[in-house]
Amino acid sequence: MISKLEALPQLTTDRAAERYDDIRELLPDADHPTPLVRVNRVAADLSLYLKLEWLNPFGSIKDRPAAYLLDGLASRGELEGRELVEASSGNTAIALAALATLAGTKLTVTIPDGVPEEKKVVLRMLGAEVWETPDELCPVNHPKDGAIALARSLAVSEGGNRYVMPNQYENPDNVLAHYETTGPEIWRQTEGRVRVFFAGFGTCGTLTGVGRYLKEQDPTVKIVAIEPQKGHRLPGLKSFGEAKEPGNLDWSVIDDVVRVDDEPAYEVTKRLWREDGLMVGPSTGAIVHAATVYGLESDEIAVGVSPDSGLKYTSYFAEMLGDEGLPQI
Amino acid sequence: MTTQINVTETLDTSGVLCPLPVYKAALVLKRMEPGQVLELTCTDPGSLEDIPAMARQRGDTLLETDDRGATQVFWIEKGTTL
Repeated sequence: MISKLEALPQLTTDRAAERYDDIRELLPDADHPTPLVRVNRVAADLSLYLKLEWLNPFGSIKDRPAAYLLDGLASRGELEGRELVEASSGNTAIALAALATLAGTKLTVTIPDGVPEEKKVVLRMLGAEVWETPDELCPVNHPKDGAIALARSLAVSEGGNRYVMPNQYENPDNVLAHYETTGPEIWRQTEGRVRVFFAGFGTCGTLTGVGRYLKEQDPTVKIVAIEPQKGHRLPGLKSFGEAKEPGNLDWSVIDDVVRVDDEPAYEVTKRLWREDGLMVGPSTGAIVHAATVYGLESDEIAVGVSPDSGLKYTSYFAEMLGDEGLPQI
Repeated sequence: MTTQINVTETLDTSGVLCPLPVYKAALVLKRMEPGQVLELTCTDPGSLEDIPAMARQRGDTLLETDDRGATQVFWIEKGTTL
């Protein structure tokens, strides 16, 4: 029997013409990378480039690991007849929710409280079930990362038959996504001239995957991790003063750690919007701030990750702006 | 149960591990009115510590606990602070 779709007139995928049969074909690889854009004004004295990961089809760098995590589960037969449950500050969940629907299943996400409302609404729009979770969920002697603990609890509930947890913090497919795509893209886009790479501590898939790839090409490339302070308000980033180090973190590829406060991160985010026209999220502000204080030489090409756009954080920005930009009559 | 308690809602979290019982209990208590009572059944041994601590932190009153070995039952009266 011919399916309804097959009976309709079709064009075949042609990436040169930017024509696709399926949204998943927009996922990046070394031949079709996300853009690398120079930060001309905020980092005027440096050769700093941002990799604009928010131009991925589901809006963030997490499209890459989400696709790899799902492929890994499917190839091992772990996805059959099950729903997904995952702990995420939003971006992995958004990509997983979209990809899960396309794969014929659904996502339940445990999300730390304090994540902006915009992300929670996006997830619900994508059909995900959202469990907002305080970090200090268990009152007695339990891990601080309540969202991860709750996702694990859900994964083993109902005999462990209802849910499968991709576990982006421990799953090597997260690292593999960046080793096979993000790393090679950066190497090729910089013509092998990248000297320093900046990314934030989070699940550590980006730092470990890109770090391993770049150091295999040139062991002198420096990998710099950005860590927020305890109690920070920089979604997607983790302070290991309050969160457990993920299994995906490979310290052997990390050369330096730069600690960043919220205030300069948000200030730089605002400047990136206004001076460079880069509508980035707060974690990008933290990464660019770290790059500007790191002590880069003017002849060094540096690359920072821009994990997502600022459009998912407008409620945070509204608080930061106060009356700024409103008529003062 | 040694005293008569008027139960408003019941929640059975048998088979699930912490922090799910705490999370579900907090959600149910959130929609209840002050003075109403939740009867909560757990099988996670950690609940014997977690549920009383949760009630204290939320400003609820743990009226009674019945530790039946494999199962624990808690009667929690919603407080006025949350």
